[in-house]
This record gives sequence, C-alpha cells and structure tokens, in this order.
Amino acid sequence: MGSRLFIFFLGVATICAMPRIPGIHPAGEPYELVYPSYFGNRTNIPADNPLTREGVYLGRLLFYEPRLSANNTISCENCHQQRLAFTDGKPFSQGIDSILTTRSSMSLTNLLWVRHFFWDGRVSSLETQMITPLSAPHEMGQSPERSAEKLRQSRLYPALFRSAFGSDSITGDRIVKAIAQFERTLISANSRYDRYLRGQLQPDSAEARGMALFMRNPSPERSIRGANCEHCHGSPKFFLDQFHNNGLDSIPTDPGRETLTGLAADRGRFRVPTLRNIALTAPYMHDGRFRTCFPFCGC
Amino acid sequence: MKKNKLILVFALLSLPFTWAQAQDGTKQAAIKVEGEVTHPLQLSPADLAKMRRVEVRAADRDGKEHHYSGVPLSDILQQAGVTMGPQLRGENMAKYLLVKSADGYEVLFSLPELDSTYSDRVIILADQVDGSPLPANKGPFRIVVPGEKKPARWIWQVTTLSVRFAKE
Repeated sequence: MGSRLFIFFLGVATICAMPRIPGIHPAGEPYELVYPSYFGNRTNIPADNPLTREGVYLGRLLFYEPRLSANNTISCENCHQQRLAFTDGKPFSQGIDSILTTRSSMSLTNLLWVRHFFWDGRVSSLETQMITPLSAPHEMGQSPERSAEKLRQSRLYPALFRSAFGSDSITGDRIVKAIAQFERTLISANSRYDRYLRGQLQPDSAEARGMALFMRNPSPERSIRGANCEHCHGSPKFFLDQFHNNGLDSIPTDPGRETLTGLAADRGRFRVPTLRNIALTAPYMHDGRFRTCFPFCGC
Repeated sequence: MKKNKLILVFALLSLPFTWAQAQDGTKQAAIKVEGEVTHPLQLSPADLAKMRRVEVRAADRDGKEHHYSGVPLSDILQQAGVTMGPQLRGENMAKYLLVKSADGYEVLFSLPELDSTYSDRVIILADQVDGSPLPANKGPFRIVVPGEKKPARWIWQVTTLSVRFAKE
C-alpha cells in the first residue's frame, strides 16, 4: 500500500514538475549561423524565437519597411545603415519629426552575443529592445500592433508571415521576432585581424605595435608601455558586455546606468560597445561628441 | 480626530527626511541571491552585519597582505537554501555559483570550492578592509579568495549571487 501511495505521489509530482514547452515555430528551415569558434557560443537567442531562413528573410524586409513608421517615411535603416556598420553617422538621430534622440544610434553588428541592450543595458533581449525605437513618439512613432494592422492590408506580407511562422496571422509580436532574427545574422568576423587570428595573415609592423599597445597593461617600472584597451574591449569580439565610466566627464550630464539601478557607483556608466568596424561608426561615445578616434586614442 | 491630527503632525515632521532621501536619489547597494535556491534573498548591508563574520588575511593586486572581514559565501548560500554540506553530492555537483558585478563582470565558483566539507579555504563576501569599509570603487561588497595567485575572481561591487545548474 505504502509503495503504491508513493508511486501515486511520484506521478503527481512528475505532472506538476512538467516544464512548459516554449513555443516552437511550426514552419521554417533552421538558419545556420556561421561565426568563428573564437567568438564563443554564449549567444543570446530566446527559446521562443529560433532563427529560420524564412524568419530572417521576412525580418530583413521588415527592417527596410517604412510602413512600420507612423508617417510611412522611415524604417529601421534610417538610423542603422549598413554602409556605416548599421549606424547613421550622426551624434543624435532624427525620427519621424524634428525632435532628436537623446543618445547616439548604436551599431547592430554582432548583437548575437550582446546580453544588455541600449547604452545603459536596461533590457536583456533584442525583442524587448526593439519596442522602443518602433514605438517612441520621436523615433518611428508606431506600435508594432498598429504596424501589423497596416501590413495585413498588403499583398506581400501575409504569405511571408505564413512561411516564417506557420500561419497568415500578422501580429506585432511576429514583426518584432522576425526583425530580431534578421539582426542576429549581422555578424562581422572577417577583418584583417580575423585573418591574423586564423593564421592567414602576418600583421605589418605598425599593426603589430598597435596590437601590443592595445593588449598590454602599462608597467612603467619595467619600461613597458601599454594602453590596456583590451581591459574593456577584450576578446576577439572587442567588447565584454560590461559597463564603464570612461572618466571623460567629472560630472556626467547623462547619468547612464545610474538611471536604471539608482546606484551612485553606476553614475556615468555606459555599455562598452564593440570596436569592430570602428572606422565606420563615427561619431563616438553615447553622445557622439568625438568625430574621430584620435581624442580617445590619445594621438 | 485627535489621533488623525497626531498622524498629520508626524507626517509633516517626517517630510524633510523623505525629501532629503529623494534628493540624494541613490539607493543602497544590496546583494541578490537567486537561481537554484529555496529562499531567494535580497541582503542589505544591515542583514549581512547580523551574520557570522570572519576575518581573512590575503594579498591583493598590490602584493601586500590585508585583513578583510565579511561573511563566508557558504553561510549566505546556506541561508538561501543552496545544496551545501551533506546535500552537496550527486547531481548537485554540477551546480555552480556565478557572481555578478555592477559593471557586468562575472566570475564562477564551483560549489565544493565554497563548502567547508570539501575545502579549508574560506572565500568571503567582504565589506571591510583593514577595519574600514571598502572604498567606493571596490565596495560595498567584494569577494576575497585567500591564496589565489591571481586576484581576478576578487570581483568587486558585487550585486548578485546566482546559483545555476550546468546544462549540457
């Protein structure tokens, strides 16, 4: 009797402990992400939004779709242009009206490994992050739900949503998921430095000196010069998903991460972005104060 | 009625204090203990001050030995109901502690490293160095790992202790 009761309890416990199965897309062919092994596999893909070829294709169209803005004039591309490593070349960005953003548009390269989005790292998924630029009144100014209503009227989209998500249903959530899938494919991993890491290229003398300076800790007592850039821009991805106050302002006008945490230690701390494609992403810093790399390289 | 008046007087008297706190605008740092725990915790400095305190001597990056005092990590984990001591066996051996800093830095410890039935080394969450509170850029809480040759796991500005299963 006792053992029967135990088995009964075990059965109940098993049913109660059944994990909720995350939503799996019924349609679509898995999208194969290709990146170097030295980037590591700590990727940020939510369980309910695996990449599919159809999802990425749809996401790319939506990324360039002006109907996602309130007045049908701008798309995500407005502030994230591929030729500028998905930035816009301006200190602050203009959306559907003349009111500028308060921080500079960030590059979208290698977001697959980012776990804290925005300059202050306030959200942990691309899907959540995207709601702000889509809906903010001075950015694209339109909720994803309103965008879905507009796209339902189109000839193009119902079939594309069906192939990506298994049904014609066009929803705000699906729009966001498709764009996030596309953005996760924006991988930058074929620079001269990558070829050096793969053993296919020898750096010239200037590059080798620059690399040594970048990677080394200064040690004056041993006459070793070092800029230690790597401390914050370490790893072959050139960012560590961390927050730092680089000390440019003694009294920061933008409190950065402090706004989120309320901690004095976080005052003036911002996410350290990747240095990949740095030649294309000017102006620099969260407020675009520098037009060239020279001020912070000290040259 | 009289009672209501009294409450009003108290409320008015406490206004400047509330205002001063709001003006300061900064919160007090606290330690969050989460993940594979039976009791998720949010520990304030006052909570930690009430716990068993120990002192360890260890050399920081400056190469000099200092006296650090704080709370053993194992005590905090036990209070949160992490599988320590006799429970640290079987599948629980595949659990780890991830310590997170305000700046996003993260370091990992295996549970046996922190458990006195496995190791004599006491790893602490320190809040004092040489009898004084930790400096603001390191504190208020910092992990101190005595005997570790490279202090890269002496993570400072600790905000979160997250116990997880290694999933593979």
